[in-house]
Amino acid sequence: MSTPLTDAPRAGRAPGPRMLRGLSWLVVRQHRAALLSLLAATVLGSVWIVYERSRMKDVLDAAGWPGKELAQPAFDSDGVGLVISALGGLPLILAVFVGAPLIAGDQEQGTAQLVTTQSVSRRRWVATKFAWIYAAVLVTAAVLSALFTWWWKPYRSVFPSQWSDGSMFDATGPVLPALCLFMTAAGITIGVLVRRVLMSMAITFVFAGAVGVFWDEMIVHLAPTRTITYPLDADMPSRLNESFEVDRWIGSADGHLYGWGLCAEETEAASDACVKEHGIVNNVYEYLGFDQMPAMQWTGAGILLAGTAVLTAFVLWRVSRRPL
Amino acid sequence: MADAFTPDGAPGAWALEARGLGKRYGRGWALQDISFRLPAGRICGLVGPNGAGKSTLLGIATRQVQPTGGDLRVFGVPVGDPEVMPKFAFLGQDKPLFKRFTVAETLRMGAELNPGWDMAAAERIVRSGQVPMEARVGTLSGGQRTRVAFALAFGKRPDLLLLDEPMSDLDPLARHDMSTLLMSEAVERGTTVVMSSHMLTELEDMCDYLLVLAGGRIRMAGDADALVPAHALVTGLAADGDPATALAPHTVIECRVQGRQFHALVRKNGPLSGDWVVSEPGLEEVLLAHLRSPDAPPLYTPGARTEAEGSHTS
Repeated sequence: MSTPLTDAPRAGRAPGPRMLRGLSWLVVRQHRAALLSLLAATVLGSVWIVYERSRMKDVLDAAGWPGKELAQPAFDSDGVGLVISALGGLPLILAVFVGAPLIAGDQEQGTAQLVTTQSVSRRRWVATKFAWIYAAVLVTAAVLSALFTWWWKPYRSVFPSQWSDGSMFDATGPVLPALCLFMTAAGITIGVLVRRVLMSMAITFVFAGAVGVFWDEMIVHLAPTRTITYPLDADMPSRLNESFEVDRWIGSADGHLYGWGLCAEETEAASDACVKEHGIVNNVYEYLGFDQMPAMQWTGAGILLAGTAVLTAFVLWRVSRRPL
Repeated sequence: MADAFTPDGAPGAWALEARGLGKRYGRGWALQDISFRLPAGRICGLVGPNGAGKSTLLGIATRQVQPTGGDLRVFGVPVGDPEVMPKFAFLGQDKPLFKRFTVAETLRMGAELNPGWDMAAAERIVRSGQVPMEARVGTLSGGQRTRVAFALAFGKRPDLLLLDEPMSDLDPLARHDMSTLLMSEAVERGTTVVMSSHMLTELEDMCDYLLVLAGGRIRMAGDADALVPAHALVTGLAADGDPATALAPHTVIECRVQGRQFHALVRKNGPLSGDWVVSEPGLEEVLLAHLRSPDAPPLYTPGARTEAEGSHTS
């Protein structure tokens, strides 16, 4: 201790502009790497989507699309597939690498004790973390989703999957931001309960995978299906080209429905005899129309956001009720 | 900022006040029915074997452990109330800090999160240990990290400083530095200090108040100056039967028979008469005797015991 204890009086504050104060400063400083990664993902992802869109546009223009049919019905390229995979994996990545360690890291490292023995309450601290991380996740997912939707909408007929497929439905419109927020909230909740970073990341990974599978099954239930009946020998109305087939029957004049394969016989004569025998005159087609997609997406996003709110409220309640 | 020295009798006169405080973990009680008072401005040693409940008591006082029952007040404010947060600072056993923060950022955290932050004091503590401000906390030595943690604790300008074995992982030189720092800062500010420690000599030098825990209960509480003289070391002939009967009016804390001689540590009840050699024990001897004899009745010096449940009016 050679330095005299009575230093010249110093300015109390570090020099430089103080854009952030209090808990916000702490949360942004502590999670600087995660927040910068999200920013980088937003910027690079945006550039990538714009680039892939212009490539697709060039190829399609050269092929004379949509005036001429393409040689293959779907535009197949590695770039498109990669973008779709990346957007599909985004919620899981956020849950495992951003959500799970968010509070579990402080519990494991003991820094939760450090922060909560200063003069701020646990709940305010955790609420500030939520606010910053949700905002960053929301911005990233919303920007990427908006750009991808802008790319996908006019060219959707040449994308490898239909609109109702999870890879498209979850990557466009409000679903991607909502799914990202929900998965992040799930990761945070699991982290708070498990209190260990690696363990909570592993559990979150499994949980997010399971939710993904379940969610894709949920999509067709997000709107009531419609049913159309048209003559047996007629073609399906062309306005239903983009519709998603939920089920299909054949029906008699009195409205009785039979399974699609009922009269699939070996010979045409046998089939005709079967049709005649049952009095079948109609095709009955149950579907979800492309025009139902926005309603379905907002319904789905609403469910996910409600889930996010429940998880967030649970964590805040638990944190204020008992020590971390 | 509140003054630590409020007049006697006012709620703030007691830095810590426990009534029937208990904490139960699944298997059993870590703390059971603890009642004591610690006057403001004292340096209190918290002593006891491992698992005695010291860390649990400090955890309850710092809002990190939820008590199962009872009541603990910090300067008259119940610990459940967020109002107590600016009143205390805590330095835990492993002194967690953000490893990626620089020292300057760590102090800035203190400034951002504490209304009464004293940056000059915190920086003085860091600089007097030649800890570079721009160094990352993760690259500091154990002693330097402890110094930064001390700076964070003192920068908060607490009325009550709670330390859980603060020196246990320091080399003797750093320990000496930290003790000096702690005493000078605490005395200068009149900060009440509660520190748990296994270093009995360290406690003897620094503490003027003692809280002895064993098995989740209080063994002794009160002024170090009054606790020790209440005891006597007695050596005598054990030939005529059980020495405990001969010592009867006094409370025998511990008695060992060696051949024809016995050595006993007793709590005096009136003058010691008999054909014995009587001497005054040291703090260490008293503490060890109490820790070895969990069945001895607890001892409180006047004022250290809280009044019966319900009489708390102020």
